[in-house]
Amino acid sequence: MSTEGDLLHTVTADDISDRRRATGRALVWGSAALFFGLALMQFAHDTDRTTLGFDTWRPVLFAYLLWATALCAAQVIVNGEKGKRTLFVLPAALFVISLVVFPLLFALYISFTDWNLASLNGPQPNGWDNMRQMWSDAFYWNALKNMVYYVLAVTVEYVIAFGLALLLNAQIRARKFFRVVFLLPLMLSPVAVSWMVGKSMLEVRFGPVSRIVREMGFEPSFFGTPEIARFMIMAMDAWTFIPFMMIMLLAGLQALPREVIEASKVDGATGWQSFKEVIFPLMLPVSVTAIVIRIIFKLKLADIIINVTSGGPGGATDSVTSFIFREYRDRSNVGYGTLLAMVYLVLIVIFITLLLKLVSRFMERPA
Amino acid sequence: MKVDLYNYIRAAQKMNRRQMLKGTAAMGAVAMMPKGAAHADGHASVRAEILKIPGVGAGSPTDSDWQKVGEMCLGATKENVTEGEFAGVELTFMGLNNQNLHNFLFRGFLKPWEAYTGAKINWIDLAQADYNARLQQSIATGTVDFDIVEMGAPFEGDVLGRGMASEMPDWVKEQIDMDDYVDYLKAPVGTWDGKTYRVSIDGDCHTFAYRKDYFGEGSLTGRDVPTTWQEINEVSKELVGKEDPLTGLPAHGYLDPLKGWGGFGFYFLENRASAYAKHPNSPAWLFDPETMKPMVNNPAWVQAIQDVMDLIEAGAYPADQINADPGTTAFQQFLAGTGSMLMWWGDVGSSARTSDTSVVGDVVGFGINPASDRVYNAKDGVWEETLNEAPNMAYIGWGVYVMATVEGDEKKKKAAWSAAAHLGGKDLSLWASAYPSGFQPYRQSHFQFEEWEEAGYDRAFVEDYLGSNADSYNHPNAAIEPRIPGIFQYYSVAEDELAKGYAGQYGSAQETADAIAAAWEKITDQIGRDSQIALYKASLGL
Repeated sequence: MSTEGDLLHTVTADDISDRRRATGRALVWGSAALFFGLALMQFAHDTDRTTLGFDTWRPVLFAYLLWATALCAAQVIVNGEKGKRTLFVLPAALFVISLVVFPLLFALYISFTDWNLASLNGPQPNGWDNMRQMWSDAFYWNALKNMVYYVLAVTVEYVIAFGLALLLNAQIRARKFFRVVFLLPLMLSPVAVSWMVGKSMLEVRFGPVSRIVREMGFEPSFFGTPEIARFMIMAMDAWTFIPFMMIMLLAGLQALPREVIEASKVDGATGWQSFKEVIFPLMLPVSVTAIVIRIIFKLKLADIIINVTSGGPGGATDSVTSFIFREYRDRSNVGYGTLLAMVYLVLIVIFITLLLKLVSRFMERPA
Repeated sequence: MKVDLYNYIRAAQKMNRRQMLKGTAAMGAVAMMPKGAAHADGHASVRAEILKIPGVGAGSPTDSDWQKVGEMCLGATKENVTEGEFAGVELTFMGLNNQNLHNFLFRGFLKPWEAYTGAKINWIDLAQADYNARLQQSIATGTVDFDIVEMGAPFEGDVLGRGMASEMPDWVKEQIDMDDYVDYLKAPVGTWDGKTYRVSIDGDCHTFAYRKDYFGEGSLTGRDVPTTWQEINEVSKELVGKEDPLTGLPAHGYLDPLKGWGGFGFYFLENRASAYAKHPNSPAWLFDPETMKPMVNNPAWVQAIQDVMDLIEAGAYPADQINADPGTTAFQQFLAGTGSMLMWWGDVGSSARTSDTSVVGDVVGFGINPASDRVYNAKDGVWEETLNEAPNMAYIGWGVYVMATVEGDEKKKKAAWSAAAHLGGKDLSLWASAYPSGFQPYRQSHFQFEEWEEAGYDRAFVEDYLGSNADSYNHPNAAIEPRIPGIFQYYSVAEDELAKGYAGQYGSAQETADAIAAAWEKITDQIGRDSQIALYKASLGL
């Protein structure tokens, strides 16, 4: 047994022969060669470059699984005890690669094809055609513009959520009851909200809200004009998700050091001063986290729109996701739809990165 | 028959105990007859007998009823298949499970067939919402894992156009008596390149529903029921500012859905456009069959879009109509007493009297798609001042198709076709059109009203309601849907553009129509223009 090196974490010191190492490496490289060989052959077969190949890509998948297993086994064969430690992580890493990285690369490929499920020819690479189509697609840009409105609405939601959190943090009667009640909308599926509120309560003819509006002498129309329709979608979405921000902010408020707030009171600060100078700055990291997570939720907004307005009137409420949904489900336009989704993904990554960079200085609690 | 229609008749007729006993006694008498006598007029008596299962007014049929009907209708199968002939054959059937009908009925109908032939059927049940995606993905990825499929005619382009179905053998054509189909379900529907593929089990078309208290002497308008789209627009404008006699709310004329419905909303613009655009001299009215150039921006279609825009401009629609899809116009507006005219499938007729939320049951009347007093001749590029009727055969109805997966195994192929033929049999289909099944009548023989009357139905209602269907089905200038791949993609993108047009984002009806045409051209190029031209011609029987 070796007496040098990292003795603390070494259970046994393996004496691994060169032959064993060579076998392990051969196992990995051999299975990798088989995997790539089969993949190349199948690709050539599918692109009519050779007749040699299989009906489906399943044998290639099996070769991949074989390679993955060989890679795991080789860790132990080549590195012995140390390799076993790698085995704790390696399968999970391979799993992630299989289910995230590969589909992403595949989607990238699909997004540069003209794949329409109704097309007899299947997916055919079409260069930058999809990108050009997107560039001149008024519906997509309109949806992106709407997303800006929707994301801006988060600021209003934040103000309301903060107000509610402060209320629920105060010494009010039946505080626990209200906390549960205020959380209820979050527990509802947005699909249920769109039907119960959007399609029933706000229904122009028999919806109770419409009746009240009519009683008041106005003609109800909640989704008739672009501005009001967009506002109603924002309101329904806000109603569902304000509790989410509220609960995060409430948790933040409860974690605030009481002595600092009490100290501000002793120093004679008014309620507003203590909020402005102490509570709000202390809450900034939680606030920023809540806002960023809410924006990420908001960027996925689709269900309420699909159910209530289908993007109308005239695209005024369309979100990028609801537009892509139509492109996919109604038009089976897989290639173009995937490109739109990929572009949106890139836009989101850039936007969130910039946002985090911008707010990073608020994320640390002031000393 | 649609479930709600059946419920209505059951409720409306209030079948009494005596009538019930009459029916039961007849059944008993038939059961006691010697076999020879029962076979004497076999065909006619089978039809009369199955219509007594379970008996009109005796509650909804159950699995045991479906099995009984299946058993009694096995005669035609027995002529072509010997007992146990398909022993060892396994087939997979993909269909819907809407309202616990469709596949559930097929299971019952086919159980005696399985017992007799020895074949076994495995089932894939799909919800309506999952159906299109499942079918399209199976087709696109080459993973067809079913031998028999229940499918709507609009998908024939996707399936038959790719040669994925098995051609119908001649013995099946004879067994199901295809000559009995209503005219529009005959070729080219169900055929591709002259070959027949479809066993029809349903029929579909849009019919006109109107409020009787709005039309006729002493009515709100004092006018006759409009028969042309021009009259419909006139009367719709005249009604602005008047009060609905039933609800006391503002009165309205025709209800156009101005919001999309996953592609299905386009059928409703088609209702208007077919009268202008479907000239008797050509079956084509959506695309030029030689070039696939969209006709949707020709003067006929532009007129249809303009009609809708005129009514928006005149404030003739109910408030918030911009947000009303076809489901809203039918079930939340027309049936609830808003608006006086509507085009829809058969459901509206039946729901008018059975739905709890309907207030128009006593004042609803039916007719065929209104005409136009001029028609656009696309071949010559001129309007012709002649009256033109062209009922819109929206969706064409369900059929049973056998997939090419059975080719190469004669026994399996015969078994699959025998199962399909059993489901589309002449007698069995009569039962399906008379009892809750989700299917509409689709054969000439389904409109022999005396059979319905004998079975215990109210003749006046059956004649009135089904008459409008029969007139549409057999119309010589019926506008038939193009069965080309991706037809719903065209409809869906048109809905998006129409929504913009109706919201005033395009300058005119022509601009809106041009935008639709441009989007259609893109889809055609993407799917493949040459193949679309070939398939379109094939679907039109050109």
